[in-house]
Amino acid sequence: MSNLSTLLGGVAETVDPRKEGLPIFGLLATEATQNHHMTYRIFDSSFRNVGSPWAAVCNSTTNYRFGMLGDASHAYVSYDHGNNFHNNLTSESYSTYINYNHSTYQIDQYPHCFYYSSSRDGFVSWQNYHQMTSSFEYQVGWTKLNMVLPEGCRPRRMFCNRRFTMREMAGNCATGNIQAYDYSSHMLNTDNNYATGTGYNEKMKMLVMIHSGDEGGNTSKVIHIFRGKKDLNKVPRIKDFFDDLESTEYFTDTWTNQNVKDWVVVVGNNGWVGFGLKQSNSKRYGVFDCNVKGVGVSLTGASRQWSTWHDFSGSTTTSYGASSGNQYYTKFHTTWDGTWGMIFSPYYYYGCGINAFCMSLENPRKFVNINQTKSGRSNPWVPWGRTGFHGGWSDNCDSETWQTYAWCFDPTDSDHETTTQVSMGTTSGDSVIPDNNTINPQGGTYTNKTGVVSLSSCRTTLTGGYGSTNYPLLMGVDWWGNYGGQNSGYGGGATTPITA
Amino acid sequence: MAHRYYFNNNGEPVTGLSVSGDELVSKGQAIMVDVPDGIESWRLSYNTATKAVVVLYEGLSEEDAVAKQLADSAAESEAEALAEKERQDALPK
Repeated sequence: MSNLSTLLGGVAETVDPRKEGLPIFGLLATEATQNHHMTYRIFDSSFRNVGSPWAAVCNSTTNYRFGMLGDASHAYVSYDHGNNFHNNLTSESYSTYINYNHSTYQIDQYPHCFYYSSSRDGFVSWQNYHQMTSSFEYQVGWTKLNMVLPEGCRPRRMFCNRRFTMREMAGNCATGNIQAYDYSSHMLNTDNNYATGTGYNEKMKMLVMIHSGDEGGNTSKVIHIFRGKKDLNKVPRIKDFFDDLESTEYFTDTWTNQNVKDWVVVVGNNGWVGFGLKQSNSKRYGVFDCNVKGVGVSLTGASRQWSTWHDFSGSTTTSYGASSGNQYYTKFHTTWDGTWGMIFSPYYYYGCGINAFCMSLENPRKFVNINQTKSGRSNPWVPWGRTGFHGGWSDNCDSETWQTYAWCFDPTDSDHETTTQVSMGTTSGDSVIPDNNTINPQGGTYTNKTGVVSLSSCRTTLTGGYGSTNYPLLMGVDWWGNYGGQNSGYGGGATTPITA
Repeated sequence: MAHRYYFNNNGEPVTGLSVSGDELVSKGQAIMVDVPDGIESWRLSYNTATKAVVVLYEGLSEEDAVAKQLADSAAESEAEALAEKERQDALPK
């Protein structure tokens, strides 16, 4: 069938079926007991309500169950599980993991969330806490690949790497492997046999993995760099990727790490790769040239490393990573357009604030430090708009508009020898659109490597969702809607991508 | 005595490192102040009005401060629940 574009002589464009509209998120508010009031709404990146009243939890007054689509487990949560959404998430013991709905650890670049599942219409259901400790994320979420994908795409296949075996899994559950493949016959060095951090760049068809001497704090490292002819995300079997490699290289090194499960591997579009992790209360980040060097050369980390290992420049305090529990592994996010990435963990304990490196995915040598030093009332962080993130705030919204910490980058900003532009908001529109020509009046420029972006809060003018004391929970949504089909903002209604 | 840098519009700790902190100071975004040794940064903030470092739970050890914060959080939740119940009970039946 012809459409208007082809009738007028244009070329029909194929949009990646994985491609979504701009990010959306959920906001859940309750009164303290959750017995008589819960409200769940879905907002887009412009903070417009895009949910459906029939799917949402709307102002229910039904005790113990809320709304006609009520969740059987979580309606009882305050009593059955001894937990409520008003918990401060400051110094709650980490063994009481049911408290961590507000935690930074809830959401990363993968569409699924740790504790719940929410449709884009606003229908939400929580996982059953009773066997939460056997869930995928609780035990082995750290084995997921860190993915660098095209604009608008989140990982829709989940590959996990442990020892010498890559597996494809279904989601936050303990169901069987969809497939598995032992790739050790393709390795050039098997001195270390624990896969502890793997990244994939779809544009480069480049798979980079770290192998360590154990799954604890062993410092010995072998890093393999596989360049494929086929896209890992498109091959029916993992084996098909490894059977058709263009090149395989490796290098060895000794890297400091409190726990190897924290490693995040960010494969840039220019063949440079950023390796980062939470290290004690701080973080580390280093960048290595993983472009093809030839047979038998550049076999040491020193021969490939750019600059030096960089410790986090922002403020740090008591906080926990994988050494305190596998579920607290260091996480990775990307912006909607896939031009910037973020290696992140909380500033405080198990969920509050943020300590992060944000790096250009075009060139991981360009990076700045991101910091928010809250020690209570946290919320997770999610992609926001075209090239940004937001979250981190759940303070009482009684008589207050809900605020979030939002910031964004320039998608074309990838030169590591220049400063980085960061745009932020604030509590006054007049300060964001000032009566002068200041670019990024609330953000600014930050020196590469050492610059610290201290995030500022932004008013959204949204209510918290309840008329008295409430601490809105920011929630991730599995599917943001087809690009150009269901999004009223960026790309909405258009069939032609705005960026090439 | 240690020094730290604080964001000068809300007094939150921004860094303890001189290179990063001095850059923010030069831009007018942060100030450097002396802080007491041995206090975790989550307990420290800077009051931009009084121009003084504020130590949350001053006099307590780190362990005791964390316990106090937990107790305060629980007390806050209880007070909220009680106030909410009273508010609901007062509504017309």
